[in-house]
Amino acid sequence: MAGRLSRWLVFAGVAAIPLLLVVAPIGTFLAISMFRAEKHIMNYTPTVANYAEFFGNWTYFGTYLGTILLCFQVMALSILIGYPMAWFIWRQKGSRRYYLLLLAVVPLFMSYIVKLYTLRSMLGLNGLISQMLIGIGILEKPSQIFLFNQRAVLITMAVIYMPFVILPIFLALERIPRSLLQASFDLGASGWDTFRRIVLPLSLPGTIAGALFTFVLALGDFITPQMVGGTTGFTIGRVIYSQFGLAYNWPFGAAMAAVLFLTALAGIVLAGIAMSRQKI
Amino acid sequence: MRSTGERIAEFAAGTLTAIVFIILYAPLIIGVLFSVVQIRQGRILWETFSVSPYVTLWSNQSVLSALSNTAIVALASVVIASVLAILLALYTEWEGAIGRRFIELVIYLPFLLPPIVTGLSLLVSSAQLGINRGLLTIVVGHTVFVLAVAYRLVLTRLQALPKSLVEASFDLGAGRWQTLRYVLMPHLASAVMTGAVLALTLSFDETLISTFVAGDQMTLPLRLWAMMRVGFTPEINALVTLVLLVSIAFALIAAWRLRPKGEVEED
Repeated sequence: MAGRLSRWLVFAGVAAIPLLLVVAPIGTFLAISMFRAEKHIMNYTPTVANYAEFFGNWTYFGTYLGTILLCFQVMALSILIGYPMAWFIWRQKGSRRYYLLLLAVVPLFMSYIVKLYTLRSMLGLNGLISQMLIGIGILEKPSQIFLFNQRAVLITMAVIYMPFVILPIFLALERIPRSLLQASFDLGASGWDTFRRIVLPLSLPGTIAGALFTFVLALGDFITPQMVGGTTGFTIGRVIYSQFGLAYNWPFGAAMAAVLFLTALAGIVLAGIAMSRQKI
Repeated sequence: MRSTGERIAEFAAGTLTAIVFIILYAPLIIGVLFSVVQIRQGRILWETFSVSPYVTLWSNQSVLSALSNTAIVALASVVIASVLAILLALYTEWEGAIGRRFIELVIYLPFLLPPIVTGLSLLVSSAQLGINRGLLTIVVGHTVFVLAVAYRLVLTRLQALPKSLVEASFDLGAGRWQTLRYVLMPHLASAVMTGAVLALTLSFDETLISTFVAGDQMTLPLRLWAMMRVGFTPEINALVTLVLLVSIAFALIAAWRLRPKGEVEED
């Protein structure tokens, strides 16, 4: 076994690159959040003024809380649609199950920008949704209600992040031993009872983990709200991005991003705990 | 032996799945269709069928330069990430490793965190260091983003290798380097390749981190975004189609390499 000093030396050598490329940049932006930009000139006296401004100004803090609420809605909608889909795919047999799963996962790799534009045109004035609702008589004329508001952001995010929910739920379902389902059936339980008392509880940790990943993804997204959100679909990601663009106040943007960072970290840690609770 | 209730549930879930699949694949369907025909008032004008948008794309200088940027960034970041992944996986599997959990956390962080955090932290730190934004910063952004995937695949393979393999190599008088080169690498090669394909797919589409660190350089997704803001032409739809087909092809190659092998049919 190598000596203590040489082990530390190897650690330093191996860890140098990830430290330099990941930890140092995160440290830098956290440090920047403690400074002030005064008329585009940096004042390097440490202060919590940026954080005070964020928490004290409802325009920003309210947007943050609104974003959290939106992310919970995205999470709920994704599970509501994604769980039955994962369950359906899981119920299939043999290669059909594999191909359906593949169909569900491939959209993950399709261009994000292209997906956004397609959804935008589908939700728009003469889009598919409007036309369909006119077709079945719910709407009388083309409507703009599905675009440029919070609802549009919610629907778009739920669709884009759907594969991220389906995959973990499917993986959780797949780990349930067939013998458990067989035993439940042999003991006379109905399909519903088996689902409620065996399938659902055993797939819950994977479902929660998938939901939390969706939450984290939705939390930091700034392009979706910009493209389909219009003036009312403001999210914290969009506000942060504007501080690095037009508004040009990096320290303030960094302070808001630090809050976002901690929120995301909480989501990731909770997802990790959920996954470690997986009993099978 | 399925009850009526189960059949109804399965039918409903199946219908839902079909509808969501149509929505998820709409970009591809619309892209393909609109790139070759024109559509007026909801009707497809088949007589306008033409593949010329695909041809004019090859003379569009801005698209070609974005394509070459994307290729450079993807290749550079995938190669760097693969080498780092091997190095880091060998380290975390070494019994003398210290700070194993910490290193893993640092590797996974950029993949798990919202890309906005990775993007702006690289932007802020490169500005502090006086590094101009450009291809180099995009490569760094993509490398830290795809590293998690490459690392995970190499590590899984490494953990599956029997310890006796390395011990036998040492017993037969091979040195550390020879063991790595002739014993470990041949076993790791396919995992590294699968990781590289996945990483390539991710880098090809990466938009959120690139937005922050690209400066005045354009990658394909950024160029596409800029083009779409102006309006839709058959040429843009042709580009959309090609981009989607390339990423789907990459994804299918990765899926094929990761497919479950030797599965026993149940029931």
